[in-house]
Amino acid sequence: MSVTSIARAISSPNLIPPYMPTGDEIAVFELAYQNRLPVLIKGPTGCGKTRFVEHMAARLGRALYTVSCHDDLSASDLVGRHLIDASGTYWTDGPLTQAVRHGGICYLDEVVEARKDTTVVLHALSDDRRILPIDRTGEILKAPPEFMLVVSYNPGYQHLLKGLKPSTRQRFVSLAFGFPEAAREAEIVATESGVEHAIARRLVTLANALRSTADHDLEEAPGTRLIVDAAKLIASGCDPQVACRAAIVECLSDEPEITRALMVVVLAIFGN
Amino acid sequence: MEEQIGIAWHRLVNRLAARRFPEAAVELASVSRDAALLFRALGGDHGVATQAGAKTRHGARRTLLERLAGSARKVDLAWLDNQALRLPPVIDVFPETALNRSLYFWLAALCAVDPRPDLPWLTRNQAAARAVTHDFPGLAASYARLVEAEIARRPQIGKLAQDEARQEQAIRDALRNPGSVRTLPAARRPPHPVLLWLRPELPVTGKKPQPDHSPDQPSRSGSTRQSDKIRRMAEHTEMPERKGGLLLFRPESIFSWAEYAKVEHETKENEDQDLAQAADDLDIIAIARDRKSVAKKLRMSLDLPSAEGDSLALVGDGMQPEWDYRTHALKPAHCRINMVSLADAEPCALPRHLERDQQRLRRQFGALLPLHQRLKAQSEGNDIDIDPYIRHLAHRAGAETRFYFDQRKRGRDLACLLLADLSLSTEAWVGEDRRVIDVIRDSLFLFSEALSVTRDRFALYGFSSQQRSDVRFHTLKAFSESYDGTVRGRINSISPAYYTRMGAAIRRASEILGRQKARERLLLLITDGKPNDADHYEGRYGIEDTRKALIAARQQGLRPFCVTVDQEAHEYLPHIFGKNSFIIIRKPSELPIRLPLLYAQLTHQGH
Ligand SMILES: Nc1ncnc2c1ncn2[C@@H]1O[C@H](COP(=O)(O)OP(=O)(O)OP(=O)(O)O)[C@@H](O)[C@H]1O
Ligand SMILES: [Mg+2]
Repeated sequence: MSVTSIARAISSPNLIPPYMPTGDEIAVFELAYQNRLPVLIKGPTGCGKTRFVEHMAARLGRALYTVSCHDDLSASDLVGRHLIDASGTYWTDGPLTQAVRHGGICYLDEVVEARKDTTVVLHALSDDRRILPIDRTGEILKAPPEFMLVVSYNPGYQHLLKGLKPSTRQRFVSLAFGFPEAAREAEIVATESGVEHAIARRLVTLANALRSTADHDLEEAPGTRLIVDAAKLIASGCDPQVACRAAIVECLSDEPEITRALMVVVLAIFGN
Repeated sequence: MEEQIGIAWHRLVNRLAARRFPEAAVELASVSRDAALLFRALGGDHGVATQAGAKTRHGARRTLLERLAGSARKVDLAWLDNQALRLPPVIDVFPETALNRSLYFWLAALCAVDPRPDLPWLTRNQAAARAVTHDFPGLAASYARLVEAEIARRPQIGKLAQDEARQEQAIRDALRNPGSVRTLPAARRPPHPVLLWLRPELPVTGKKPQPDHSPDQPSRSGSTRQSDKIRRMAEHTEMPERKGGLLLFRPESIFSWAEYAKVEHETKENEDQDLAQAADDLDIIAIARDRKSVAKKLRMSLDLPSAEGDSLALVGDGMQPEWDYRTHALKPAHCRINMVSLADAEPCALPRHLERDQQRLRRQFGALLPLHQRLKAQSEGNDIDIDPYIRHLAHRAGAETRFYFDQRKRGRDLACLLLADLSLSTEAWVGEDRRVIDVIRDSLFLFSEALSVTRDRFALYGFSSQQRSDVRFHTLKAFSESYDGTVRGRINSISPAYYTRMGAAIRRASEILGRQKARERLLLLITDGKPNDADHYEGRYGIEDTRKALIAARQQGLRPFCVTVDQEAHEYLPHIFGKNSFIIIRKPSELPIRLPLLYAQLTHQGH
């Protein structure tokens, strides 16, 4: 049985989190899966990375093990550790090991936040050996064909001195996510929030206007998430200006001067 | 008494005449940030600044009142050029503050969108208005209000001669219904200025001058703070013309060397104006070539199209290229780097006034960036951490086995090159008794003290420039040298000189840092202003060149970061360095203490 047919057999369409493709990312992901290649997704915050992985996992019928990385995350948080109970010590698998054992998809969100030594455990898993050596127990796990490693990071987010080492990066098939093209994004906003299309389009115009100020005035460009949130508020009866302030503008900056200027842009689109 | 009435009457006339509403006035300063952001949001160029533009002489008919008051010959319009988005310094033409404010935003939007700058004034502005109102419903709503206010402000059609009335009607139609009017009916006079539209043509007109043989082109000295941001429009005039107006030579002119201005033959008010005022009064300051510029003295920034007379090839060891944004080309070997050795600087100890800070920094850095770190409650390690074990036994809980201390070596593999701006502008005073240069000197001292604790590799350089043939690069401490009395002596000897050719200095520094083998290489620039030099290296030219030099540095794997004390740096640094790669120090006097801490933050890798 081929991989895709297993996936079709397991998944049922109404359980799949909706994801609207903006390019050929679905096809690339599927091919990577079939070829047992790990995938790296890079893109700004709120552009659909997590949603995409959830969608793909459901589509391929695999369990998803998500780990949000942070700078205290150690290798044993991923692989597992010994715990003690009344009867002595016992071993528990970390999410990475679980995914390898059960042939699931392991998704490491914001992987650059993890400590450098953490990414080392990924090396043997992400090249063609596809093995996970567990030092503590001496076990060496061979990943089944259904196992897949997916990592994501946000290139703008990083600390001045953070980043992935080339030897890590070059093990992955990479997908660059950006913000969808305006018509497509409006469609996403409308379906996700239930707001009418005309409003969704205006919100996307606003988002794109704010995005073009991003590297000058803002730390980070507004993602689709913020737009969807504002749209949800509007859909449930909130005044658009109020919704944009609360769900977009105030989320982008804490500086009063900047938020005031951002509201000028909001008024350029939602003023009356 | 009579005199007072006279003054009151004069003011009244002035106010009526100018059709101004001072109580509803909005100043550019209060909206410039908002307008600039809107401009960028709507697609405007990130490289330009937002500035007050010079007034435009409109030549339209003035009312009797206006003529009586001798005003309203000039009007504030908006435009966009290579350097800046130019907006009126004040808008007070409408009776309501909200309208005046929204005019600023409207003009910024128009400049940002302007889809057909190639078209003539009438059609171009209609095209722009159409595009803005189509894409931005909020602006469309405020435009509708502005149009009615503008029409109410305009001369009454009934009172105009037939030809002018037809023209006025066409303007109104174009305002109300952008895109509907193709041509402007001819009339004896130009139409009354349209405040909702961009100004007819760029101020810099006239023929380009021949290459200037004297090196003394008008320029802004590095130390000159722009006291007056209103830019004078500089126009190269070849010879005075004699058409219409009478040619006048104004004896009080600041430009006694050659000032040709076409001035209407009306009585000139204010014969006793001071020089700067006189410049204000002229729409166009004509500068004839081959003359010495006095612009420096006047502290004005003149927008001169640069005279491209400097194609002379330079030779030398340390040649660096330079980026010309106008031609989109990197001019190879364009700047000469001259290494300045500070061999004769007297070795010295750390200045007394820094000793306390030194002690504190040593302690802080010892804690902030320890060479070894002892981590408690680890699941593995080389020592037993008894506390969590006892807790575990006491509670008999299924807690984790974190009973170890772990000793971890701090894996720092870092090289940092600090490049300090030593241009003349650093002579500016920042407090009672200290200049920027003193602050920079102290910063270099404390930075070195802190880095001697961390044992990160570092080098210190300073730079200044006097045109492209002389970019001075001062070696304060090379990577191979250790921080000692000799280095302190060199730091002690720095003094401000000349200009800031930033691009060349950054390229040179990148070469030096690029030769260092380290996992992370930080290029730290300390400055107090924009790139500039005594030639055309200023404004957008300098900014774009510096930006290019930094892009190259990043491609080389270096991490540039800028620390500035220029309070207006948010206008240009994001474009040059990128949003996350600079910091503005609000109180320059705090730089010496902030710099080492900033370094610690930048290089702190989380653990
Ligand atoms: N292509 C898409 N199809 C459907 N919904 C989308 C799409 N892109 C974005 N969204 C919407 O945007 C929201 C945020 O997306 P998601 O959480 O996947 O962002 P992310 O890229 O993972 O962000 P972060 O980097 O902050 O984790 C989703 O909940 C969804 O509503
Ligand atoms: Mg996510």
